[in-house]
Amino acid sequence: MPDLTTLHVHLGHYLTLSAILFFIGVSGVVFRRNAIIMFMSIELMLTAVNLTFLAVSRQLGDHQGHVFVLFALAVAAAEAGVGLAILVEIFKRRGSIDVDDFRKLME
Amino acid sequence: MHQQFATVFVFMLLGLAFLFVSQIASKLLRPKNPYAAKQQSYECGEEPEGSPWIQFNVRFYLIALFFIVFDVEIIFMLPWAVVFNEMLGTVGPLAFWEMFTFVCVLLVGLAYVWLKGDLDWVKTIIARDDDELVNRGLSRYSSGDKLGKPGLGASEYV
Amino acid sequence: MNFTWSDAAYFWPEAIMALTFIACVLTDLVTRGRRHGVTLSVLIAGTVVSLAMTVIKAPEASHYVFGQMVVIDPFAHFFRYVFLFVTLVTAVFSYSSREIMGKDRENQGEYYSFLAVMCFGMMVMAEANDLLMLALSIELVSITSYIMAGYARFSLRSTEASLKYVLWGAMSSGVMLYGASILYGLTGATGFSAIREGLLAGSGSELALLVGMLFVLAGIGYKISAVPFHFWTPDVYEGAPTPVTALFSAGPKAAGFALLIRFFYTSLVQTDGTGGVTLLEGIQWPWLLAIMSAVTMTWGNLAALRQTNVKRMLAYSSIAHVGYLLMGFVLLTQAGLQAILFYLLIYAIMNLGAFLVVIALNNRLHSEHMDDYAGLGYREPILAGAMTIFLFSLTGLPPTAGFVAKFYLFAALVDSQLWWLALLGVLNSVISLYYYMSIARSMYFTPATETGGLGLSRAHVALVVILAVPTLVLGLYWSPVKALADSSLAFLLGG
Repeated sequence: MPDLTTLHVHLGHYLTLSAILFFIGVSGVVFRRNAIIMFMSIELMLTAVNLTFLAVSRQLGDHQGHVFVLFALAVAAAEAGVGLAILVEIFKRRGSIDVDDFRKLME
Repeated sequence: MHQQFATVFVFMLLGLAFLFVSQIASKLLRPKNPYAAKQQSYECGEEPEGSPWIQFNVRFYLIALFFIVFDVEIIFMLPWAVVFNEMLGTVGPLAFWEMFTFVCVLLVGLAYVWLKGDLDWVKTIIARDDDELVNRGLSRYSSGDKLGKPGLGASEYV
Repeated sequence: MNFTWSDAAYFWPEAIMALTFIACVLTDLVTRGRRHGVTLSVLIAGTVVSLAMTVIKAPEASHYVFGQMVVIDPFAHFFRYVFLFVTLVTAVFSYSSREIMGKDRENQGEYYSFLAVMCFGMMVMAEANDLLMLALSIELVSITSYIMAGYARFSLRSTEASLKYVLWGAMSSGVMLYGASILYGLTGATGFSAIREGLLAGSGSELALLVGMLFVLAGIGYKISAVPFHFWTPDVYEGAPTPVTALFSAGPKAAGFALLIRFFYTSLVQTDGTGGVTLLEGIQWPWLLAIMSAVTMTWGNLAALRQTNVKRMLAYSSIAHVGYLLMGFVLLTQAGLQAILFYLLIYAIMNLGAFLVVIALNNRLHSEHMDDYAGLGYREPILAGAMTIFLFSLTGLPPTAGFVAKFYLFAALVDSQLWWLALLGVLNSVISLYYYMSIARSMYFTPATETGGLGLSRAHVALVVILAVPTLVLGLYWSPVKALADSSLAFLLGG
């Protein structure tokens, strides 16, 4: 009968998951052209950070990580709000959200 | 307790199995005969014309943005509310005044949003006459047809 | 939580700036955005009161407020002066700038409230003593910067600059937070001193520490535009309205350096109480930063050579100056850091002056191209003279303050016998002479297509002169400023 009474999820699992999420987020920002998808990937990166903080905080028994997550959530919300508002503004003027179309400032 | 997880897991598997079996069986058993009239989107018998994409009103985004900001404010108030009683014993009335300050700062934000007319569903544009509206690229009747074109007062270089 | 009111009283300057922010927002609402001059006066009044409080409440020792997350010590005190000065000057520039406060622009009054909150954020950045405060203050400054960069909403360049800034900035702040989480995981603490204790007690893995440190460095490096995190600087500096560019080049850069110095010299080194510093754990971050400094200097200077747009050229030149500043950072000596502080103040003055000239000319000429500056030496002699002083100072030629600042940097390098970096710095200064002087050449040696003055307002010219005078005077008599910079550092490395 397999042992169903102990949880086998260790800190390492959480950290690996968050590292994978983080790098998926980074590759999303680097390789995608749609600005909304890029914002989504940035939120994914911030989620990975939150997960790391919570996992470490749970392991150490320290509440500082939870506090950090609370503030990181607020920051992520603010940043996404401002970023999307800027995106709406630029869409109104250029009619496109493909970042490859924004080349007026390139040399 | 873990046996209940197993129940949920079996339930999930059965659901997925039902889905897959019915779709695959149907795909294998039905005849394949696509033609143009069948592939058109259904519009209650009318002929579909134009693109199905519509201009999404930006007011929905604004309302969502305001919701997020005030929701995060509530998130900050929740842990404070949990330990408030204890804090009254240790730091005294400061606990109350700190949160009061925080809420006041956000009230300034609410006042800003309110007085700038962002909470009105139909935004009032204060203009002296129609000429001023046209100069600002707006019209009393529609706001959507100039989007994306450089005519909306956009200049290459300021 | 050891919260004492006497310690918290040292936080008054920042609190006043925060109140100024709210006052500016309310003023703008009450006047319905029509009289932005009133909002400007509220901002200036608030900044002056904050400056007065800074002078009155000068800290003699380190005061920890907010649960050890914010520390107010002479180091932060020095930077408060820099930020308040930058905010005041930028507020006055912006009032006279056509790009933001022109007749057909919108949201004129709110701009001042952004200036106020940015000043607050920068001051907290210089005082951050905790990973959480590091992240929050950088985010406050960053998010305000994103909004301000796109302030000229009718300009396609401005909105594009703002979008690029926010995309890359959000990504870099995500990277920085991830680094912070790794550091927290290794040491179990978020305060800078506590991180040092945790690292001294033996961390788990050196690779994780390196990655954590690199990621945090990536986030801060983005703010100060060090290579390889500089890619946003030319685009954003060129696209943003010029007063905002002036602010970016002086304020957040100084704040980023304050934070960098405090983070690295508190968490990642071990001081022995007499000003000597040894590294922890054998991570050779000075070498890494020395290479970063060399690449930043060279890249900034070489890229600036080809520019014809003055704003873009000044953007690359500011990247080069970050390279010079980082040179003082790697030395692990008091002299290096003193040189950085002194340089930052001088740099703020001369950079703001150069940008003010660009604003004044943009108001009339509607152009930022170097060729359109032709013949200015004769049409507007005072302005062109002041611009030449700023350019000489940026290059580092005597008798301007820029020369003194660079001299202290190179002297500190030579003292620590880091010859290759000093040589590279001198070489880069020589290269920078070419592009700074190309503006001067265009002003003096290219014949003008029209004659007669440009009709600049006297206030503008007066402002330019007010900024040019210290640039010259500090090149001849700089000891009070240097003494201030020196005394501000005694605390950081001495205790």
